[in-house]
Amino acid sequence: MKPDAAKLLDIIAGKLLFEIAPSVQPSYRQSSVGLTGMLLGMVREEFERAAARRVEENRVLRALFSRAAKDVADTELRHRLESAGAGSDASLLVSALDKSNDALRALLIELHAHVEAQDADWARAVDGEIWSELVASTERRRFALAPF
Amino acid sequence: MQELAERIATYAAHRMPHATDVAASHVDRIHGGASRETYRFRLRHREAGREVERRLILRRDPPGSLIETDRAAEFAAYRAFHGTAVPVPEALWLESDSRWLDHPFFVMEELVGFEASPQAILAPPYAQHHERLAREKWSILGAIAAADPEKLGLAGALEVIAPADAWRRELDHWTRVIDEDELAPQPIIRAAIRRLRRAPPPPPGRLHVVHGDYRTGNFLYDSEGGIRGILDWEMAHLGDPLEDLAWSLNRVWCWGRDERVGGLTSKENAIRIWEQASGLRADPAALRWWELFSSVKGLAIWISGGHEYQEGANKDPVLAFSSIWLTNSQDRAALEAMGKLS
Repeated sequence: MKPDAAKLLDIIAGKLLFEIAPSVQPSYRQSSVGLTGMLLGMVREEFERAAARRVEENRVLRALFSRAAKDVADTELRHRLESAGAGSDASLLVSALDKSNDALRALLIELHAHVEAQDADWARAVDGEIWSELVASTERRRFALAPF
Repeated sequence: MQELAERIATYAAHRMPHATDVAASHVDRIHGGASRETYRFRLRHREAGREVERRLILRRDPPGSLIETDRAAEFAAYRAFHGTAVPVPEALWLESDSRWLDHPFFVMEELVGFEASPQAILAPPYAQHHERLAREKWSILGAIAAADPEKLGLAGALEVIAPADAWRRELDHWTRVIDEDELAPQPIIRAAIRRLRRAPPPPPGRLHVVHGDYRTGNFLYDSEGGIRGILDWEMAHLGDPLEDLAWSLNRVWCWGRDERVGGLTSKENAIRIWEQASGLRADPAALRWWELFSSVKGLAIWISGGHEYQEGANKDPVLAFSSIWLTNSQDRAALEAMGKLS
């Protein structure tokens, strides 16, 4: 697609924010147009990194599950961790990557709650790995406009 | 807007049986809180031989919003604090009958000529008054915390609970919102919820009025650094005053994108002002609990707005914008509150 989507969204967002919004009345519509411009700016940021961050995150989570599965005594949870760890992303469509990411992050919540309840070195190690990944995942999702 | 103006006038005439020539004009929708449709308008009428014009605000329930809130509680809070040290506009009429304007609503006075924007406060002429703005902001919050809900008549309008249940009621409520509205799993906030449940805060000595959304952006200020109106009481309830203090310190309100809470002052200074004004002590451990809770509540609000937008219940871009813009920041705030950000 040419012009590039990023360029296109940059230009449209700029036009909405700085050319169109100031001339729109009443104030509610002006504000809505301005917000739409800022939204497009964030869509532009996400469009560029969408597949990369999802692929990376899914890979990290699967590796984490494979390592954790070796120590998890709960048979049912261990099997699900092994199964998820052995998975891969067959499609790179963002919607497909999102679906796997949702499933993997739901399993991450379960694993996190499980290791929090264990008093063992392996559990503390997995807990540390999970927190590292949660910090990293937050950085992957960060927007330039974010207040914090 | 002409049709709405006529319907507002019909309603106002119904509420003011002694008035004649009632007319509404200059109806203009504004962004005034994401939970209700907000309109400003002028109401003119004749009464006792003289012409009266008032500038008023209509807050009407929308089909969908960031948060499901109790308009009666919001109205009661405005009524209770009007004429006290907590500046609020005068609340006039509360109407639950949808036949007048399609949805329930209330009407209150418009405080004219002041600014509310959290971005404008960072620039001249307001930026030079941050010290006074901070002093007023957290002094007023202290006055809200010091108020007696019984004397204000709020004990009948807001749910009374045991002080020991204040944390649980709030955490249960916002967890339920996340359960119902999340569009994707939220591992950071789920970990935060588990941590909060493992170590609840000590109960407050008594029930206090909690504004529920006290932050830069929800008050009107002037160019001399004075705060002229506290708005958006839609989440007002009785509970632990540290909930309000912690919410006001929430990292996502650091509009200057630095360490200044609310874009105005240091966290330590804000707490000191609040303690002086309220006569209460902000126990550091309890405040940390409520700060982490603020991230749970914040995230619940952002994902709830995103859910409304995605489901098509409300297509106001402010819902999508807030959800996308603040969800990640709120996660970072939660990580910081849990000591996970280096």
